[in-house]
Amino acid sequence: MAPQLTLQAPLELPPSEVPGYLNQLWSEGLHHSSGAATFTLLVWEPSWLQQQLIRTGRLDGPLSGLLNEELLEAARRASADLGLATSTAPMAPELAWSLGQQPGSHSADDLRGQFVDRAISAHRPRRLITLAPTLAPDRPLETLVAAYCPLPEERGASEDACGDVVVLRGGMGAIQQGLGMLQHLITADLPCWVWWNGSMDESPDLMEALAPPPRRLVVDSSIGQPRRCLDLLVDRIETGQSVNDLNWLRLRSWRESLAMVFDPPSRQSALDRVVQLDIDVEGDHPVKGLLLAAWIADRLGWHLQSSYWMPAQPGGSNANGRGIGAEFQRDDGESVQFRLMPVPVGISKTHPGALVGLRLICAPPGQAPLCVILCSESGGCMRLEAGGMASMELAEEVVPLPNESEEMEMARLLGGGHDSTNPLLAAAAPLAAKLLPN
Amino acid sequence: MAATQTNPLRVGLRQERVIPPQCLVIFGASGDLTHRKLIPALFELFRQRRLPSEFAVLGCARRPWSDEEFRSRMAEALSAEVEQHQSAWQQFANCLFYEPVDLQQPDDVVRLGTRLEAIDRLKATRGNRTFYLSVSPAFYGSGCRSLAAAGLLKDSARSRVVIEKPFGTDYASAEQLNRVVQSCAQENQIFRIDHYLGKETVQNILVLRFANAIFEPIWNRNYIANVQITAAETVGVEERAGYYETSGALRDMVQNHLTQMLALTTMEAPGRFDPEAIRNEKAKVLQAARLANEDEPWTCCVRGQYGRGGSPAMPLAGYREEPGVNPDSTTETYVAMKLFIDNWRWQGVPFYLRTGKRLPKRLSEVVLTFREAPVHLFDAAGGSPTANQLILRIQPDEGAGFVFEVKAPGSGMRSRPVDMHFSYDESFGEPSDEGYVRLLADAMLGDPTLFTRSDEVEAAWRLYTPLLQLIEDAPRQLPIHAYEAGTWGPGAADNLLADDGLLWRRP
Repeated sequence: MAPQLTLQAPLELPPSEVPGYLNQLWSEGLHHSSGAATFTLLVWEPSWLQQQLIRTGRLDGPLSGLLNEELLEAARRASADLGLATSTAPMAPELAWSLGQQPGSHSADDLRGQFVDRAISAHRPRRLITLAPTLAPDRPLETLVAAYCPLPEERGASEDACGDVVVLRGGMGAIQQGLGMLQHLITADLPCWVWWNGSMDESPDLMEALAPPPRRLVVDSSIGQPRRCLDLLVDRIETGQSVNDLNWLRLRSWRESLAMVFDPPSRQSALDRVVQLDIDVEGDHPVKGLLLAAWIADRLGWHLQSSYWMPAQPGGSNANGRGIGAEFQRDDGESVQFRLMPVPVGISKTHPGALVGLRLICAPPGQAPLCVILCSESGGCMRLEAGGMASMELAEEVVPLPNESEEMEMARLLGGGHDSTNPLLAAAAPLAAKLLPN
Repeated sequence: MAATQTNPLRVGLRQERVIPPQCLVIFGASGDLTHRKLIPALFELFRQRRLPSEFAVLGCARRPWSDEEFRSRMAEALSAEVEQHQSAWQQFANCLFYEPVDLQQPDDVVRLGTRLEAIDRLKATRGNRTFYLSVSPAFYGSGCRSLAAAGLLKDSARSRVVIEKPFGTDYASAEQLNRVVQSCAQENQIFRIDHYLGKETVQNILVLRFANAIFEPIWNRNYIANVQITAAETVGVEERAGYYETSGALRDMVQNHLTQMLALTTMEAPGRFDPEAIRNEKAKVLQAARLANEDEPWTCCVRGQYGRGGSPAMPLAGYREEPGVNPDSTTETYVAMKLFIDNWRWQGVPFYLRTGKRLPKRLSEVVLTFREAPVHLFDAAGGSPTANQLILRIQPDEGAGFVFEVKAPGSGMRSRPVDMHFSYDESFGEPSDEGYVRLLADAMLGDPTLFTRSDEVEAAWRLYTPLLQLIEDAPRQLPIHAYEAGTWGPGAADNLLADDGLLWRRP
């Protein structure tokens, strides 16, 4: 779904005039229309990678904040030029950081916050606020405002329900300065979603200020230090806040594929007899693999006994290339061995730690063992297919790669409208945090 | 049938849409449907986390109950579920409210408006309201008028009306009712419910047809010889004699449930999965459908009424002996008929519909019988080859089957038919939601895909108008044939197919 620009060119106003202008707009200019009684969406949109690629002349503008093929191609080329490991995902913060060390002074129009993906605009946000920090830390605060109403063909059966777009742009100091005004722009009687569309490592104070409960927080645990990502997830969930993780959502097709294998009642008893779980991931970001393992362990009632780093694999994808091992105990006292291994890939997926394969071995008494292998559509999983399975019943599936943008995932969340954390994520995140050895 | 159980990896995987803040107002809250279907469906939605925290149910009826009394009566009616999920019920019960309302009394409706505003403030439901008319059909029109007069349907984006079946008793009354409700609310606010459309297997007709490339090329008059649609019940009239005496099988089952199955089986592919696109196609195909002989409808329809039956150990009463039934009743408990659809896809293909009470099995199915192979190269074990059949099992044992010829083992080349079988239970292992769960959620989400639009309802009534007129004007021309309870209906229904050289499928 192609993103679209706001219909009206945003008006640049002094920050102090924005709340007053919006009040006036709704009481006079849009008084014939009802404001959409939906939600406020507040987006932290640093787009460091895109900014650095543009600055170093590796990508043409404009700066949109959207992940597209052109940007990913430029990122992969830059990663190779800078000598980063081939498994470095374009969204890995180290790539943007390495680019930051390179010279360059190219610039482009900054249209962040002015592209509204149709998937998101279809949910008619009442107010879409974008915080767009610039590379120049001392750039003063600029505020842009636009109102929009759906086109007649987009309205469907309902009436006009309009919304507005606010962009706060400037250096980090200026953004901090704008926080006071921001609180006046967030309507108290509508739900507010805060999409932290950046690394979970950066600006913890800002995240704290933007996303206090009961605002619904959306993060991406594939971006940032694994320990920090998992701890932050767990902390926020424990406070009772609604937390949504795009990295968790991207596991959907894996969870669905594994569940599908065990849908036939004739297979379900094997789930009580799992003896081994192996997961292969790209690069050195284990969070996604750990979340998947934790979900399986939680659903099957396993108890974690221990977890540990495994020795580096020859040919590992990264400097340390260490895997993670763990032992669980099933309800019947038997143990389940778990291993998560980083594997090298030629072309990494967009986000760090994408899954390559999963193997689950069940040993039901009196029956042939069952080996379930799920392979990524693009990767295959020869490592998991190797050795010792001749006597097993083999169930092998290829997991489709969802080709959906961040905005589509976000739109799905907005459409879901949950005001609490998904209980499966709430159960899996603390266990994943324990699985990650210190 | 495989026992249904829950796959632990399946729990919570469905990414369901969450209903926006909402107050569901049920008129007829003291009635049977509320505690048997509606509240259980809402509790199920609550347990599936599909209801928002800003949610309320306001029960309305003439009885002077309090909120507490309504809650305790609902808890009593759902005692098994409440016991199993006590904590969830406690939270859910806090969303239940009650207001004594007679929709015919303007003062009551004004008071209802005030109560709704109070609930908006208390539960932050933001003025989003779904009014569910679970009242006598005689009050559908006046109920809508009362709500409109009180300004409760004014906001077309935030208020909706759900209307139970039957929507009218014939074409003229349906058209008149449509005019009334459309004068009170816009079409996009009106949700005419047919709980058959809430069934997974009915929806699966669309998926099977339009998500698989192998079926659609042969889904037409070139390959399909005939189609049979059956909805059979083992029960008699039970406690519904008062209603059933005025409706009969034709109005109770054929005009709605069977016609919806017919529409989904025969409609063209919509351009996109969009409520209006789907409903356009359904309406179009129903507009092209007709009785096989509209000038002499008695030649293409058979009515029946069950008489005594059963065994000496378990005797079954005849319809006219049932409590509340007129001993001289001429209401049909069975109807079978033959239809045609005059369009490029279906011209000349007969569609046979039948439904009845006190039949040997409870089942609903759609059976598509394909044309025979043009040349018979092999001896058939049964004398002649069996035509291929695709069987869509709506209920029970939900699934699909395909009958085709294979080589019988042994020397020679004899063919015999075998079944290929898909079962929801065996493949998915968990029971699907009750139809009302899906339909209530969709109504509150404002998704009309599974609800019937005004033109669909009118087209369905128009289709059966010659029969209804005949029953009204010259009932002797469409006599009631008696059949023994527990059998597959009157012999005259078999003749309907025998004239075409066919047999009803014996499921």
